[in-house]
Amino acid sequence: MPSRPSPMALQSSSPYPSIFKKKSTSTMPTAASYLSAVSEADARARAHGANGSTPGSTPALSLSSSVTSSSEDTVLDESGLEFNDGLSYPRTPPTSEQVFTTVHSEFGHCANEKYRYTSQHRAGTQYKSYPEQDPPYYILLTTYLSYLLVICLGHIRDFFGKRLRPSHYKHLVSQNGYAALNSDFDSFYTRRLKTRIDDCFSHPVTGVPGRTIVMLDRYSPDYNVTMVPTGTRTRGLNVSSYNYLGFAEAKGPCADAVESSVNRYGVSACGSRLEGGTLDLHQQAEALVARFVGQEDALISSMGFATNSTIIPALVSKGCLVISDELNHASIRFGVRLSGANVRMFKHNDMNALEELLREVVSQGQPKTHRPWKKILVIVEGLFSMEGTLANLPIIMDLKKKYKFYLFVDEAHSIGALGPHGRGVADYFGINPRHIDILMGTFTKSFGAAGGYISGNKVLVDRLRVHGHTGPYAEAMSPPVLTQVIASMASIMGISSGLEKDKLNALVLPAKSEEYPGLVPVSALPSWMPVAPTMADGSDGLMRLRRLAFNARYLNRGLRKLGFITYGCDDSPVIPLLLFNPGKMAVFSRMMRTRAVPIVVVVVAYPATPLVTSRVRFCLSAAHTKEDIDTVLIACDEIGDLLDLKQGQGERWPLKEIINRAVELVAMPETD
Amino acid sequence: MSTTSSSLEPFFTLVSQSLQTIETNFYKIPGSAVIARYVRSSHRDDPGRTLLEVILIIFAIRTLLQSRTKAETSGKHFIKFSEQEIDDLVEEWVPEPLAQPLSPTDQADLDAVPVISGPTGPKPKLMNGKTVINLASYNFTALSGNAEIKERCVETLRKYGLGSCGPPGFYGTQDVHIQLEQDIADFLGTEGSIVYSQAFSTISSVIPAFCKRGDIIVADRGVNFAIQKGLQISRCTVRWYDHNDMGSLEKVLEAVEKERRKKKLPLTRRFIVTEGIFDHDGAMSDLPKLVELKLKYKYRLILDESVSFGSVGRTGRGLTELYNVPASQVDMLVGSLANGLTSCGGFCAGSHIVVKHQRINGTSFVFSAAMPAMLAVAASEGINILRSTPSILSTLQENVRAVRAILDKVDCISIPSHPASATIHITVRTATPSTPSLAPPTTPMSPHSPLSPRMQASAGAPPFDIDAEERALQEIVEEALAQGVLVTRARRLRGQELNQPRPSIRLAISAALPRRDCEKAASVLKAACVKVLARRR
Repeated sequence: MPSRPSPMALQSSSPYPSIFKKKSTSTMPTAASYLSAVSEADARARAHGANGSTPGSTPALSLSSSVTSSSEDTVLDESGLEFNDGLSYPRTPPTSEQVFTTVHSEFGHCANEKYRYTSQHRAGTQYKSYPEQDPPYYILLTTYLSYLLVICLGHIRDFFGKRLRPSHYKHLVSQNGYAALNSDFDSFYTRRLKTRIDDCFSHPVTGVPGRTIVMLDRYSPDYNVTMVPTGTRTRGLNVSSYNYLGFAEAKGPCADAVESSVNRYGVSACGSRLEGGTLDLHQQAEALVARFVGQEDALISSMGFATNSTIIPALVSKGCLVISDELNHASIRFGVRLSGANVRMFKHNDMNALEELLREVVSQGQPKTHRPWKKILVIVEGLFSMEGTLANLPIIMDLKKKYKFYLFVDEAHSIGALGPHGRGVADYFGINPRHIDILMGTFTKSFGAAGGYISGNKVLVDRLRVHGHTGPYAEAMSPPVLTQVIASMASIMGISSGLEKDKLNALVLPAKSEEYPGLVPVSALPSWMPVAPTMADGSDGLMRLRRLAFNARYLNRGLRKLGFITYGCDDSPVIPLLLFNPGKMAVFSRMMRTRAVPIVVVVVAYPATPLVTSRVRFCLSAAHTKEDIDTVLIACDEIGDLLDLKQGQGERWPLKEIINRAVELVAMPETD
Repeated sequence: MSTTSSSLEPFFTLVSQSLQTIETNFYKIPGSAVIARYVRSSHRDDPGRTLLEVILIIFAIRTLLQSRTKAETSGKHFIKFSEQEIDDLVEEWVPEPLAQPLSPTDQADLDAVPVISGPTGPKPKLMNGKTVINLASYNFTALSGNAEIKERCVETLRKYGLGSCGPPGFYGTQDVHIQLEQDIADFLGTEGSIVYSQAFSTISSVIPAFCKRGDIIVADRGVNFAIQKGLQISRCTVRWYDHNDMGSLEKVLEAVEKERRKKKLPLTRRFIVTEGIFDHDGAMSDLPKLVELKLKYKYRLILDESVSFGSVGRTGRGLTELYNVPASQVDMLVGSLANGLTSCGGFCAGSHIVVKHQRINGTSFVFSAAMPAMLAVAASEGINILRSTPSILSTLQENVRAVRAILDKVDCISIPSHPASATIHITVRTATPSTPSLAPPTTPMSPHSPLSPRMQASAGAPPFDIDAEERALQEIVEEALAQGVLVTRARRLRGQELNQPRPSIRLAISAALPRRDCEKAASVLKAACVKVLARRR
């Protein structure tokens, strides 16, 4: 029985042609022909590769001959594993004067200076995210219907399953005096809905989560209840990892710095910060983070989630009010719940709702007693990771002046990923970061490390050091992680040697001196840390920022021009593409994964999003090249036709035109 | 009169016509005749019922139309203000400052935090250039700075980079994480395990993953802060038993069962939550008794081994190895990879069902990035080393005994910690011989209610002067540091802990130190205690 593979978990899922398809495309009218076309394309790609013009070993060889300093860096070292997948090597081999120090599969080679952009809010315009479009009614209707159908099927299966195969339900019902750990009712959604598409989640991977990622293939013999590894691997284009600036690298200046740190420090600080776990490295990193975000002081915590969940209770307490955006991250809600403060929520990014709420709570005071609130803390995220929207900071700052609340901005996704200097959402809008009371962020995303920080004025941060839960109880951040943070931040900021009269300065964007002090003096860095030249002049960091900005804008606008419904701001590196039907999620993910050039995507559904707006989420990186974005657009175009996803309004361009006019498309001003 | 009726004529015809249309349309609906017949007959049988039903329908419509999130605007406490008044109130309101400056004692505490320059280890160098003997850092198993681990970490770095760049659900699960989970499960002998990326956040996520509103938790009064936070977030019914007192636990279990029978409450999930070796005082749980009780009363056991994993047992497997209790008897075994294996993160080991459940419901597992590959490998390698070298743990226990042999004889301090515990808490011995510490034989006053987490029978001040003792202990710490021994006061969030734990100095003994150094450090500490505490008397 278990030898029969479930059709669902097989590599090539059977995509059903949309029954609502009106305009049948002549090229691939049915799923069968689609699949044959895919395999043909696959064969073509392989034949192409064998000719030696694109993927294969020749470009690498010619490349290594052209590189003098670090030739072995660019050759892929995969210990005997061959990847003829069209992802490991650039499609067009570099010319002799181009020197790339990164591994193409980790950080793509892109020398075209046109594919650069600066992420910045245009002064004088009002920020508003792209209007959220509603899908046609039949999409909504079928979405609800499919949920209904799956729920009914689930209940029917439960009904018969419980009677016919009671052993399978044993852990869901009370037995010998123990209540079920997870009752059948509580787990219904996971058992009967999520399990159906479980092959799209928690996929094990290996290697660097950079531009590409290597998946460990698996299949399920029993309809996704268990997963069996097949032992093979697939390299896919990675548009899922939070690797915004492409610092997830196994080679390069940051990795070198981390290696010397491991050799010097080992891997642990052995204890909590207040109980003997503070190293000199912690202090250096905290000073650097404060400098980077433009605040007086900063505090580092060893886990991003814990930064919120353990620090917020030290900020507010009973008698205080937290006003929170309804889509704030779970860690914020966790922290607020622990704090004992009152919470009110406002509609996502709706500034009128926020102001109305503020007027109400300030005038009413605390519930029942009507005493004035001790303090009001507004918590918003800089970049909402499920929506791609930015906090409307200019308006919030105005409201802050009027209503005297304190502002907490969670920059988990925006730090490093937004703004001309990469300093997050405040930098993007050109707001002085010191006017924001608390800036929180994580190192997991843009910096390729782990953990998080809280920054603010010195009095506040010192108080959090002593009264936050992290200080006395949680383990301190480990030295190699701190080094990654220091190295990656320094390479964005640029390093001044102090001796050479910063002629390199020109490479770094004109810094607003008082807000973001320009180069880091070399004395602020650990003395043993190796510093690469590209890191010192800030050119590496700047290149990353500008490539990310281009990629984000290109894919976002490209998808809209293709007719997809996407949410969020044009400059956001997180791009949610709306799928609506729950079934399409799984099909979309599987089809992307089984293409000739596999693309790894994240699909998200209820409860992380509202029931009807299931979506696929692309996370872009500076590591992607323009060709990679083209690949994603081509894939989306094909699958989008097949799944009837192009429901957006507005002007549409044909795929070819989008790819050819990419630079123009990116440079176009925001439409109203 | 007639004029009015004639002017109303078209109105009446309209009404009757629309009534007619409604009626015909109504009868067009399939099954409508049945409803009509039912209404007619029920009205004939009992006209009062028709009225009641009409009222019911109106009520239902009203409920449906009401906004579901009933804001305070409609509450009876809502006061209506005009816009002008609101503006004035906004103008008038002065919030408290976001953060008060630290009090002088807090500031002094913060300034006194030792900063290690360069790597930490058994003998680190401080910022002032002084090399000290380290009895503060958690390095039980001497894995910190281990050359093999470093080498494996660099290899991993060159293959995986540093960060995992994503939560486990979204391509953050790397093969090294799966390997680590397997290693932990094999090491302990459970079906599976799950790795969280911070030790402190592990148990405060594990508890709410399983315990929901209405479930019952019976917890020790002396549990650590992370557990307290987990209990708080889970919102279930918590009953407390006296610290490390199995008799009290049994009484509470009995009482809960009696109450359930009396009130005929439905069967809910029930858990005992306690620690292996307590973070607050180093006391050790009687695991065989715990297991016996949990089986007898049909509870599940959540055991936090954050301190005991990697510090007791023949090869450091923790309490289960020490007491020779199969780890499968503990339903959720939580431990720290940061303390025990000098890596980073925490784990929860248990059955497949327990582990799988957390992969979807463990908040800090789901919503945070997976731990860096390098640290996972460091932990795996640590387990390998522990497995193959049992001498580490015997050295550790020898060192513990050596330190205890010296400190136990000092009469101005008392040590509530278990003799085998690698964390040793030193508290000031009070002049009154009644309560030596937090230890079980608490005040023989009225047995206090399991509803209250308070350890002291009187809810008022604890029987010791926190500030004075903290000051004295800090003096000892500084005195020891001056003599070249790094120790630390156990830092507590005073006012946030449910109970005020007795102020203590927490030693963490390491197998990395030669016995001679341990003895030397203990002697220094002894001298410091005598000097400072004698002065106080």
